[in-house]
Amino acid sequence: MQPRFLKLLKSRRAVSAVISNMILVAAVIAVGFAMLAWAQSQSSNYTNQYGRAISSDINQLQERIVFEYISYNNSKNNLTVYLMNSGTIGSVSITTAYVNNTPNSTIALRLLSSGASINSLNATMEGYFSIIPYPSLAPGTNYSIKVITGRGSSFVSTFST
Amino acid sequence: MSALFRLRKTRRRLISDSKGFSSIVGAVFAALVMISLISTVFVWSLSQNTLYNNTVTQTRQADLDRSNEKIVVLNTTYTPYNNSKVNVYAQIQNIGSSSVQFITVWLYMSNSTPWTNYNFSSLVNASVQSGSTFTLNVNLTATGVNPNSTYSISSWLITTRGNTVALQQTIVSPNNIIISQTTQGIGALMMDFQNFTYYNVTGGNQLTPLPNGGQGYVVSSGGGNIVFRVILTDLDQEQRIINLSSSSVFFSIFPTTPQQVRGSYWYVVNVNGSGVISSTYTPVILPYNVPVAVYFASDHAIVSGQPFAGSPPRFTGTAPVNLALIGQLGSNSFGQNIPFVSILILN
Repeated sequence: MQPRFLKLLKSRRAVSAVISNMILVAAVIAVGFAMLAWAQSQSSNYTNQYGRAISSDINQLQERIVFEYISYNNSKNNLTVYLMNSGTIGSVSITTAYVNNTPNSTIALRLLSSGASINSLNATMEGYFSIIPYPSLAPGTNYSIKVITGRGSSFVSTFST
Repeated sequence: MSALFRLRKTRRRLISDSKGFSSIVGAVFAALVMISLISTVFVWSLSQNTLYNNTVTQTRQADLDRSNEKIVVLNTTYTPYNNSKVNVYAQIQNIGSSSVQFITVWLYMSNSTPWTNYNFSSLVNASVQSGSTFTLNVNLTATGVNPNSTYSISSWLITTRGNTVALQQTIVSPNNIIISQTTQGIGALMMDFQNFTYYNVTGGNQLTPLPNGGQGYVVSSGGGNIVFRVILTDLDQEQRIINLSSSSVFFSIFPTTPQQVRGSYWYVVNVNGSGVISSTYTPVILPYNVPVAVYFASDHAIVSGQPFAGSPPRFTGTAPVNLALIGQLGSNSFGQNIPFVSILILN
């Protein structure tokens, strides 16, 4: 047994075959782990993106805004929109208001009960904002107003000046 | 035969040859890794999809609940006061299948000047169960309003589900009450003598015949229980609200034979929109200058533990009637007797 082992150690041809095999196996394992890591990273990215998209859709679905009253002051060219969050999700902010397709992004939301400045409306909370339409609105005319929430939902109503 | 032999030989060689075994193990391992990765993503996607579907279902249910809110508004009145206040009074009945909560009442006024004004008031504890009635009685500030001008007034309520319930739009003219109508020295309540009505009471405490009943001056009860309806109007000069307590009674003295005076009495009750007498009693509210139908039918004052029980006339013949009314006038105690009616009980 001992002489055969010594012979094997002394044989240069056998050593080169083992080393080449080991290098090959190591390369395969390295490539395999790299592929696994890449696949995991890709699937993680996918689940994150999909999760965010689903979460955004769900939040958007739960948003509901009701227009309680819309008042336009002709002499001051001031449009005040009274809203309520009648949805089941809170933190509904208003980013843009379109009056007959003319956007206005300077929305300062306030609480209906106290007039205090707020960023968003929680469920069943009532608030209002005032904007200065440009061009000013003609008296005795019907207009449409569309508000866009921070989550991207849009709600439309009409009013008469 | 040789083919079978070759097959056996091939199989024996495959079993005995260990070359390629590692490839199979590697392939199986790779397949397991791929399956676990894919199945994890798949199951997670399914859970997200379920979450989305649940939200869609809940949102649909909320929309359905909102569309199922059904409200009937009756007897809307607007009363402008001197102090830039407007009283909004209405009876609101929930005829839907779910309870409704009102959170805000809005008021819009305009006149021919043109002048417009609007305001709102938050409502507390304004929840109405299905089939129940809610009395709205709020004062809203409307700067510049006075009772001597004519206004077009509209009002609407907002529910927590996001519905808008409009109250009747009314044109309110200056207050032309003739003070003598109120018989100032007698009391704040005025009775409408042209609309004095009685009804028979049938099973289930139902008023019959609805809606007109019979003229209250001549009564034919057939020995059964009856209900008297009088129209009362609060004409208090300070425009305060009157509440009638359960002790308010409609009573009559029958001079059947000399020295043998007999009495019949009917205490105040609540009657719903379908003409059914309630077994309990909630104080009848009489807003200023609003004619309100008040019903008298109970054998006793309805209090806790003593529900409604009907009362027949008991006697026949002609008898004077006294309307003994007890309650609150604003924050003060109130009592008034209206003694100007006679009735004839035929049977």
